Amino acid sequence: MSLELRNLSKSFGGVIASADVNITVPRARVTGLIGPNGAGKTTIVNMITGMLAVSSGTITVGGRDITRASAAEINRAGLARTFQNIRILPETSVLENILIGFHRHETCSTISALLGLPSSRRETQDLRNRARGLLVRFGMAAFADHPAGALSYGHQRKVEMMRALASEPDYMLLDEPIAGMNDMEAEALAQVFVELAQGGMGILLIEHNIRFVTRLCQEIYVLDGGRLIAQGPPAVVMKDPAVIAAYIGGEHA
Amino acid sequence: MLIQQLLNGLVVGGVYALFAVGFNLVFGIQRLLNLAHGAIFMTGAFVAYYTVAAGWPLWVGFILAAIGSGVLAMLIEIVCFRRLRKSGDAEFGAIISSVGASLVIMTVWQWISKTQIVRFPFETFPVIIFRFWGLRVSALQLFMAGAALVIVVLMAWFVYRTSFGRRVRAVTGNEKAAMLVGVNPNRIYNQTYFLSGALAGASGVLVGLAFNNINYMMGEPYLMFGFVIIILGGLGSIPGALLASLIFGMVQTLTIAFLPSGLTNAFIFFAMFLILLIRPNGLMGKEEAGALRGRR
Amino acid sequence: MSNTILGYIPLLDLFFLHLGLAFSQWIVLRAGVFSLATVGLAAIGAYTAGIIATKTGIPAPLGLLAGAFTGMAAALLLSWPLARLRGVYQAIATVAFLQIILSLNIYFEGLTGGAMGLNSIPKSVGTLTLFAATAGTVYLMVAITHSRIGRAFDAIRQNEAVAASLGVSITGHQALAFAISGALAGLFGALEAYHSYALVPTQFGFQYLIAIMSYVVLGGRNTVLGPIVGTAILILLPEIARPLAEARMLVYGLLLILVINFLPKGITDTLVDMLKARNLARRKVAAETAETRS
Repeated sequence: MSLELRNLSKSFGGVIASADVNITVPRARVTGLIGPNGAGKTTIVNMITGMLAVSSGTITVGGRDITRASAAEINRAGLARTFQNIRILPETSVLENILIGFHRHETCSTISALLGLPSSRRETQDLRNRARGLLVRFGMAAFADHPAGALSYGHQRKVEMMRALASEPDYMLLDEPIAGMNDMEAEALAQVFVELAQGGMGILLIEHNIRFVTRLCQEIYVLDGGRLIAQGPPAVVMKDPAVIAAYIGGEHA
Repeated sequence: MLIQQLLNGLVVGGVYALFAVGFNLVFGIQRLLNLAHGAIFMTGAFVAYYTVAAGWPLWVGFILAAIGSGVLAMLIEIVCFRRLRKSGDAEFGAIISSVGASLVIMTVWQWISKTQIVRFPFETFPVIIFRFWGLRVSALQLFMAGAALVIVVLMAWFVYRTSFGRRVRAVTGNEKAAMLVGVNPNRIYNQTYFLSGALAGASGVLVGLAFNNINYMMGEPYLMFGFVIIILGGLGSIPGALLASLIFGMVQTLTIAFLPSGLTNAFIFFAMFLILLIRPNGLMGKEEAGALRGRR
Repeated sequence: MSNTILGYIPLLDLFFLHLGLAFSQWIVLRAGVFSLATVGLAAIGAYTAGIIATKTGIPAPLGLLAGAFTGMAAALLLSWPLARLRGVYQAIATVAFLQIILSLNIYFEGLTGGAMGLNSIPKSVGTLTLFAATAGTVYLMVAITHSRIGRAFDAIRQNEAVAASLGVSITGHQALAFAISGALAGLFGALEAYHSYALVPTQFGFQYLIAIMSYVVLGGRNTVLGPIVGTAILILLPEIARPLAEARMLVYGLLLILVINFLPKGITDTLVDMLKARNLARRKVAAETAETRS
């Protein structure tokens, strides 16, 4: 059981954003995807989650082809994501932001929801309690009723993660989850990620903070100019001359 | 007969082009619909009429109408749009705000005209008919076609060949980047809206002359036709609006001539619906009408 | 005393009729659809009921149902092309729909009475029926707000990509919002037909559209209270200040510009936000004092 990208490619009117990318994200592991700015990491997440059309190649989850599925179908297949440019629902409260995440598990019928029958009300109440549970786990219980748009950057990232977690995915794609957080907050999140992986979730972690990635991941993929230039355990990858060149070259460019 | 109708349609289409190109110019630069464009058009017709009624020659009225409508459009942008644009959610807000502006402008002209239909005095434009190859063309039609052609060519030159055009396109691409290279976006917006309003005003005068019926409600149908044209041509595309105006002028003239009279509008708007379904970006629009990918 | 109350009955009727349509407009906006079709859908419902009332012996309750049903059917049909379009294009497409309905109403004279409209529709809807329909609508709106459907609407409106990434079917929910909007518009259009003896095609034109939109924009687009407050204010305003009734178009125009620029969320939404912020601040203070004490 894993999330598999096979020969995945994307071009925007002749400009190649991803070329022939092969990545395997197994369950119960944290897999890293790193690379200099503009390497095409977010493009890959967008393709996996159905926000961008795939030019060629295939994506499968547990053997099921989701290459051409819609974003909503892909979530229902067990994938959830966070966004690099935070996309919070600004007008609603933190709690309501998280409630949306439960959407794919909501079972009450349309008629019941429209007419406000007891089953619909019970479900809403039940989900509110579960959302509060998530808030406690992320140390944000005090913020439940705050308007999400007014939160700090780091808190908004956490809300996005809780929202994605609420859909109880088999795989989480985290696009720079600790950007804008201090060391203590990052440390707490690392702990959460480890726990999630231990619980059986497959995590694809995209991150700029190399130390954070090398510590958490068993397997790392390195992307540069839309191509994979290295893959393997952190210790091996970080010594790869191609990776060093890409990073140093990238930093000076 | 058919050729005569096509010719008439082409002339009408030229006037529509003045209207639609201005409409699209604004949409192209700000991605906002200015629903007061019909009211600006009507303002042009009224300004020209009252200038002529005060004893001035028509050409003075024409120029005053263009300037007046241009200034009005500029004011609408400043009063109704500028604040909204900064708040971020301007797409819906601009529709509401410009409908509001349209209502205000209509009320003002309703009061001035005392809810009456006003008409240019007889022979404001000399009635001369030319005949050739079995076709009839009036001097007014020639003037309309000529004026439309000259104005559109001038504008195309302005937008595509001058530094103003380059600045407009810089702002369209990225407002912040444009500011970094020293382009003041607000100034560009003022100029663009002025241009757009002046074009609408000019077309108002021509329509006022052609149908000799100026009233405070006259903008509404033209705004509707404007929608059809920019959907056909592609929202934001100036050459598209030009081409679509000519096609629309001819199709409309033909449907009026050959379809049962009550069905013209139903036919035209139904056709627009079909275009939205089959080719939502129009003849020359950029790909943007479609909703988010993966939307299901 | 009772006379003064009776004097306000027509105003109350008007309030209920317009409020129903305001909710029809409100529910689509809430789901992030830029529809301006409400008045056109109301025309469909009104004419359905009007034709049934004048040309058949079918009783009024069935006529009302038929109005709601045709409104919903038309809305569902319309939602199919709209689902493929973005905001501004949806607005343009629905305005075109309004034009089509208008001209078809005028053209099919035999059925609709053409430009003259339908006359002598037996009046069978009074204030009580209107109140019941409106109360039912308000209940429905509150129920939807607190259900998974309301949450999905809110998510779609604020960010389609986020909603989709969490498994929310955007076209499905927008079609649902449209169906509700169409059923409401059709129902209240039909109520209007049975209430006011006569229908003319131009009554369902831009003026009406602008009035309905103004109620929602002024009152607020995200709370159920919004349309109620907006409709109440704008219906009462000309009664309180007679001169304003003369300049209705000017008042609406200025109001739209001012509200969307300076109070973009409308009256109730702004107030609700303020109240929430005050509660939060108060709770924070309470928590801090509790902390220092312990």
